[in-house]
Amino acid sequence: MRNLLLGALCTYLLGCIDASQQTIRKTQGLVYCAEANPVSFNPQVTTTGSTIDIIASQLYDTLLSIDPETAEFKPEIATHWQVSNSGKAVTFYLRQDIEFHHTSYFSPTRSLKADDVVFSFNRLFDVYNPYHFVGDASYPYFQSVGLDQLIRQVVKVDDYTVRFELFNAESSFLSNLATDFAVILSKEYADHLAAIEQKDLFDMYPIGTGPYKYKNYLRDNLIRYHRNENYWKHPVPMQQLVFDITTNGTSRIAKMLTKECDITAHPSATQLSVLNERTDIRVDKAPNLNIGYWAFNTEKPPFDNLLVRKALAHSVDFEKIMQAVFYGNGIIARSHLPPSSWAYEAQKNMPAYNPDYARQLLIEAGFEQGFSMTLWAMPVSRIYNPNARKMAELIQSDLKQIGISAQIIEYEWNTFLERIGQHEHDSVLLGWAADTPDPDNFFSPLLSCTATFSGKNPANWCNPEFDLLLTQALDTTDVEQRKVFYHQAQRMIIEQLPLVPIAHGMRFQATSSDIKDISLRPFGGISLGKARRD
Amino acid sequence: MLFEYLLRRLSLLLFMVFTLTVFTFSLNYMFPGELLSNITGQINPTYEQSQELIQQYQLDKGIFIQYLAFVERIVQGDWGLSLSSGQPVFEQIVKLFPATLELCVYALAMAVLFGIPGGIIASVYHKRWPEKVINSLSLLGFSVPIFWLALLLIMVFCLGLGLFPMSGRIGLLYEVDPISNFILLDIILQSFPYEGLAFVDALHHLALPTVVLAMYPTTVLIRFTRDSMLDVLEQNYIKTARAKGLNRRQLIMHHALRNALLPVIKQIGLQFSTLITLAMITEVIFSWPGVGRWLIDSIYQRDYPAIQGGLLAVSMFVILANMLAEFSHTLFDPLSRNQAHGKV
Amino acid sequence: MAKFSLFSEESNRSPLSRLWRKFKSNHPALVGLWVFVALTLLAFTAPFIAPYGINQQHGDALLLPPSWHELGDVRFILGTDDLGRDVLSRLMNGATFTFGLSIVAALVTTLIGVVLGTFAGISKGFRSSLLNHLLDITLSIPSLLLAIIIIAVLGPGLLNTVWAIIFALLPQHIHSVRNLVVEELNKDYISAFRLDGASKWQILTRGVLPNIYEHIVVIFTMALSTAILDIAALGFLKLGAQPPTTEWGAILAENLSLIYLAPWTVGLPGVLLFIAVLSTNLVGDGLRQVLKGRKVD
Repeated sequence: MRNLLLGALCTYLLGCIDASQQTIRKTQGLVYCAEANPVSFNPQVTTTGSTIDIIASQLYDTLLSIDPETAEFKPEIATHWQVSNSGKAVTFYLRQDIEFHHTSYFSPTRSLKADDVVFSFNRLFDVYNPYHFVGDASYPYFQSVGLDQLIRQVVKVDDYTVRFELFNAESSFLSNLATDFAVILSKEYADHLAAIEQKDLFDMYPIGTGPYKYKNYLRDNLIRYHRNENYWKHPVPMQQLVFDITTNGTSRIAKMLTKECDITAHPSATQLSVLNERTDIRVDKAPNLNIGYWAFNTEKPPFDNLLVRKALAHSVDFEKIMQAVFYGNGIIARSHLPPSSWAYEAQKNMPAYNPDYARQLLIEAGFEQGFSMTLWAMPVSRIYNPNARKMAELIQSDLKQIGISAQIIEYEWNTFLERIGQHEHDSVLLGWAADTPDPDNFFSPLLSCTATFSGKNPANWCNPEFDLLLTQALDTTDVEQRKVFYHQAQRMIIEQLPLVPIAHGMRFQATSSDIKDISLRPFGGISLGKARRD
Repeated sequence: MLFEYLLRRLSLLLFMVFTLTVFTFSLNYMFPGELLSNITGQINPTYEQSQELIQQYQLDKGIFIQYLAFVERIVQGDWGLSLSSGQPVFEQIVKLFPATLELCVYALAMAVLFGIPGGIIASVYHKRWPEKVINSLSLLGFSVPIFWLALLLIMVFCLGLGLFPMSGRIGLLYEVDPISNFILLDIILQSFPYEGLAFVDALHHLALPTVVLAMYPTTVLIRFTRDSMLDVLEQNYIKTARAKGLNRRQLIMHHALRNALLPVIKQIGLQFSTLITLAMITEVIFSWPGVGRWLIDSIYQRDYPAIQGGLLAVSMFVILANMLAEFSHTLFDPLSRNQAHGKV
Repeated sequence: MAKFSLFSEESNRSPLSRLWRKFKSNHPALVGLWVFVALTLLAFTAPFIAPYGINQQHGDALLLPPSWHELGDVRFILGTDDLGRDVLSRLMNGATFTFGLSIVAALVTTLIGVVLGTFAGISKGFRSSLLNHLLDITLSIPSLLLAIIIIAVLGPGLLNTVWAIIFALLPQHIHSVRNLVVEELNKDYISAFRLDGASKWQILTRGVLPNIYEHIVVIFTMALSTAILDIAALGFLKLGAQPPTTEWGAILAENLSLIYLAPWTVGLPGVLLFIAVLSTNLVGDGLRQVLKGRKVD
């Protein structure tokens, strides 16, 4: 009875709204279903991919970028740049027509100038910068690639020219500046907040130069951006960009089906078939530079023992994981680097599934009785691991066969990363999606000693030999020479097994088919500035 | 008499609030984690900060003083900071509670609208097919797990037929400024933005959660109304009236209904507490931005200040709703004022 | 309904057999009872009769539909889930957790409820007043909320859930039993008994309890249906049983991501839950009707 009545009411209401609903949607904007709350609104202070997707290209611009097709540098805020002969100084010439966002909380009085660039980079490494210690002075990306150790100083030459002076020439410097993390912030806004003693707000209420500007943010619900009418690059078609924060992957798909979302981040592979059946939804698939791995806390016994790590690696059937977790939408890892990277070398001695051998290794290591350990599974679905929980359960049952009882641990995403950063785990299922095509991006931010100190090294692995290889590779610009070093690095990872590379995921994105001009990039976050609805 | 009754109720209310605050206060000690961060929500404060906070919250004093400081803080609206977001807990609750309340009120209205007539019809057709149908339906509704019902409805109405959206209070592209935080009220206050479409959209979003949430209280009200009616119809004065030759219609409309509905009124109020709990599940499934979903998220994240604040707010509300229910019942039924002890 | 009957033997049957006769004539309730008994048996024997282990993964048979489907496999009657685990075995074992633990929780609650409720019923004065007020407070908080509060303190987990539900159901129980006891104590035959010099203990064991135990069974069924719903709801909210525990609510939540690919993995646990609660309610309702009818007699 009740349903009947309701049904009648609905058909009545539906009749009149369907048409006008469409027009409103068309002009109003775009809804993007994001999978997690942003950690911050400043890309400098985080490396979390879900956050970068939401904030980086939408709110900010960088000095230069990398063309996704040709992999060449492209001018952005800088019209052109010059690298000195020694490679130790790089001069950028800036555009003169770039305006910062006008919002309810700040109205800029001047356009972007060299001061802003100097301020943005000084914050990262200059302890005298008033904002350096705002937050917890952690700039994980820059610290993990050692950029804070590399830049001697950033000098304003004139209002529209900036010179970066480096301690030594480094081949990946420009590509690091082209990442989503190296954004340009407003110095005027920073000074304004400092004057009213509200420096804490700087990273939560963003002022940038990007295609959208911040309107409001309701934790666990939504983030709303409005269009930046004065965007320098091109007119922005959408009036609004709304991020619907939906942590549950199934809900994201469902919202896609009910048209509550226009774009869905990382639809899980299990449900791709449902989306593929629909004509009004487009599923884009692109190779992506990433790696999903199982890292051991190598500082914590018994995982400091190579034999134990080896035993664990040999006890798990990764083929089964590929089938059950990736549903064939991933590439099983043959090295730490994905095959599409130029420094890739397939490893011959990847650990193969062999429980008997694993048991033998355990006995050798003195653990005949087995032991119990924690297995941390990240709670969100990422490219490199669409369902860590399920993967953890598979691993758990495999480990049981060699007498190891694993306890699966889950936390909310940001808490999870925080605790991993404090090395509370025994082992963790995590991954890395590259920000630049440079191979170094897979090593320094993840497995170097500096990454250990900044809490970004999930294996807690600091090996001076390995670090030396990385430094050597960075010190030379000769590609062949670099290749040699990176091949050695890859071999070393498989020999030492601080982590077991599992798979490289494909990047998927479900988009309503009337949305145009969104491109998937093989690295870095998504850019929605040009998105429009037909 | 009424005054004396009120006084008695008020003292009971005070006693209940006292117990509740003692309980929430003791939660600070029962939760794992450090006492200071449980209370204040400050993670890893510096030495000076923690000294200052200890001073402020009188944590160096005896337990009784601590409790007083705690109550003072609660009354002032300083409910600490959320561990996971760093936002003041009280502010968040104020923002989220109206959403939950809104959902509950509509569901309750729906339950009353269908439950009471349903129960009356069942009693009128006692032992005939309408009663049997209503009874079976209510038994089904009574037994279905609410989260499963919600999933079924989503499968059918959102994904299958595409009639309703499945999450949130309103389409996200509609920008409605929060004034009262009651969405429909806000839309009306802003004189129907988007040519009234926002209002229609909000109604659409309300439909499924309301039905799901209303299911259980509706069945309870049906059963309760029916039983109460049947009881009344058995009574002697009704028999007398029937002997005098009144027809069934007159009997029910003029004599039985009033007396039968008295206990139902109280029951309606008591349903509020059940509703609030069920709303937590409903909110989680329909991503309704209310206090229930927030509380459950806080439990996942072991966000102790938030859990504490959420519990305090929800329980306080339940107690108040029960009090109000009983009070309104007393207004209608003077006989019930005589009870010495609190009886439910 | 007072009827003239020539032979009085019939009414001399024991109350229990009369109850059973009446109950039998209510067919839905009878069906409910059979289902109830079947589920109870299943709950205790599931680990022995389930065809596969709950965590036994079949890598060659992922996401098989139920066997009557054309893609199904007879080995797995209700199909498999995404890890290749047999759905039937998991659901059968789920009965142990959801239904079995609910019975345990309801039994424990009833037991404590009867003891404390009787105590509350016979106590007088300040003690009674304080007890009643305390009861009122906890009563005003619904069981699921109370359970959530307790879990917030104890942390998520199946055992904690059971504790929480016992705690949460107790106030209601004590209250109902107290009311029953008070009502019975006010009856004339008890006064007569008391005047005959019976001690408090005798009044309770010989007078009150034999006359209210059927009502206690009704209360037990109510507690049971609440317990099932609460355990499942908490499992669903991931506050109760944690996967891979096969509690029905937890299975449902775990398989939610498969709802498009394998709807049976979500539908079946829900159906079972529904059946379990429905059968319990049918039994309870049938019993209540019989008791009510007796009063009229």
